[in-house]
Amino acid sequence: MRAEVRESLRELARYRELLLNLTRKEIKVKYKNSFLGFLWSLINPLVMLVVFYVAFGIIFRVRSEGIAFYAFFLMSGILAWNFFSNALAMSVASVVNNGVLVKKIYFPREVLPLSYIGSAGFHFLLQELVLLAFMLGFRVPLSPWLAAFPLVVLLQTSFITGMVLWLSAFNVFFRDVQHFTEILLMAWFWMTPVVYPISYMLNALPAWAQKIYLLNPMAHIILLHQYVVYNAAHNAPSNTYISPYGIAGTALLSLALVSLGYLYFKSKEGRFAEFI
Amino acid sequence: MRIKDIDRDLSKAPVALQVSGVSKSFRLYRDLNLSLKEKVINWRKRGYDLFWALRDVDLEVKQGETLSIIGPNGSGKSTLLRLMTRIMVPDSGSIRANGKIAALLDLGAGFHPDLTGRENIYLNASILGFTRREVDAIYDRIVEFSELGDFIDNQVKNYSSGMYVRLGFSVAINVQPDILLIDEVLAVGDEAFQAKCLQKINEFQESGRTIVLVTHNSDLAAQISHRILWLEHGRVKSLGDPVEVVQDYHAAMRVHPKGDEFGTREIRFTEVTMTDERGESKKVYRTGEGVVVRLHYEAARPVEDPIFGMGFYDHQGQMVFGTNTRLRDLPIPRVEGRGTVEFRIPHLAMLDGRYFLSVAAHTRDHQTDYHWIDKFLYFDVESPGRDAGYLSMDCEIRWSGG
Repeated sequence: MRAEVRESLRELARYRELLLNLTRKEIKVKYKNSFLGFLWSLINPLVMLVVFYVAFGIIFRVRSEGIAFYAFFLMSGILAWNFFSNALAMSVASVVNNGVLVKKIYFPREVLPLSYIGSAGFHFLLQELVLLAFMLGFRVPLSPWLAAFPLVVLLQTSFITGMVLWLSAFNVFFRDVQHFTEILLMAWFWMTPVVYPISYMLNALPAWAQKIYLLNPMAHIILLHQYVVYNAAHNAPSNTYISPYGIAGTALLSLALVSLGYLYFKSKEGRFAEFI
Repeated sequence: MRIKDIDRDLSKAPVALQVSGVSKSFRLYRDLNLSLKEKVINWRKRGYDLFWALRDVDLEVKQGETLSIIGPNGSGKSTLLRLMTRIMVPDSGSIRANGKIAALLDLGAGFHPDLTGRENIYLNASILGFTRREVDAIYDRIVEFSELGDFIDNQVKNYSSGMYVRLGFSVAINVQPDILLIDEVLAVGDEAFQAKCLQKINEFQESGRTIVLVTHNSDLAAQISHRILWLEHGRVKSLGDPVEVVQDYHAAMRVHPKGDEFGTREIRFTEVTMTDERGESKKVYRTGEGVVVRLHYEAARPVEDPIFGMGFYDHQGQMVFGTNTRLRDLPIPRVEGRGTVEFRIPHLAMLDGRYFLSVAAHTRDHQTDYHWIDKFLYFDVESPGRDAGYLSMDCEIRWSGG
């Protein structure tokens, strides 16, 4: 089996150009024929920002929890969450939606979901750049931990990849998966400290429920984003929660999801063309 | 067009595609259960029938060989091709390919309508597994072959279907794969482009590359292949010399005589014969040979003004030639008792094929059939092979010029 895995990885490497081209296509095509084009990629999180800023910042007065520059706190979480949720939503149905290709041409199928992750990642990185530019513009002091940003993205991307390999393969056989994913993402969003500080949740939950809440890998990933991009110095200590165990657990889980997901995907790949 | 080095000795050539003991079944779901709910409800019921698309297929395609796969619909041709490209995996057995494969299963399958022709060339080529640098080198050739000119920078969605197909073919054939798999796509495009495609395939063959072609056009297959594989019900029916296999295939695909017989029998045929001019009854005639069809009849009571006729039909049931005593102005005022009507045809005009004979006796207004025997007798025609088509015609060709 090891030889097979090595062979399929080598094949994936041979098809890296296709992966790049499909990613590029996805980026190009997404806003093609729209007047504002690429700006949409910025408008979307900005609107989310306004909505949540009004709801949580002004109405629920989350700002009083010692969160300075609340808009940037929000933004660092929202952008990271959007990367996760966009990548997932787009890649779950990637194999099915590219049925024509799958039925007519051979190429390693994982290229399809991966290209959507690539496209979502591209938008995410651009949005982060714009965010950083705004932070500099508003003279929000940046954290030295920003240097760890690539590592955080790496962790997040591997978690996404693991999820996507399972879901997109599973979705070929059970189309329910793509509908289920939509609902899952919505529930998951509120179970993750994206728009509210984590202290809210931890204060409200009994100890045993806190433990369950902190099993959520996305919680640790978002907390990391808030730590390195938004800069924990602006946040009340009770709102910054960095758990080495949580991060190590998330990393291990991602690794397991990716490697097992890859094996699962490859073992089912040969039947994809029949089920589409 | 016939490939020039069709007799090239391939027995010692290395193997390009090795198909060993391949079987492939499909589950034909009675009602495709793709939702979890139905799956749970029908947990133990097996909601499908197994359909064997391929059964124990062995095949070795040599490098430089052109192999065509023919067979009726549902015989497994396309499935075999899909297995070769690895789009699907066999249930058992194995398929090994030596070299880069490009498959023309659907021209332009990888095209994205919102991208330009140029962008699609690169995208399509990378789907086929080729790198940007490899495409750069042949980009001009692809565009030239596709005859798209300045349209290459337009979005593909604005292309006509012909342009679409030309671009798709052009990419696949110009990326120079080691093995080219083609599924029926030659049936598209206008004749000029088809001729161009054939020429390109010819070049491809001459450069020693391997081609596997799935087609319904067995004559085309015979022309351009080294060998032909005839599949039927997922099994290898025959594999070998293109001309022989295609001949057998044609023979098998012909309909068998139906022999319907009806009518009032006021006039009844007692015997019908078809012979050559010397009176010898045969199964095979040559084009140009003379034949005689004799209808022996019997009328128990007098019948006024009957019409006697005969006709030749091809294997698809189309009448090739038909005539009768009314059309040929032979009045028969009245028949009673026994008699004979004779049709003499000095030259059979049909080319190769199997033909069926029908004979009839009916009233002048054709309202009532006395006796009609439909396609009860068949014979084959063999032509010297100098002409193509359905009929032999006299033709004199002259040439003048330098």
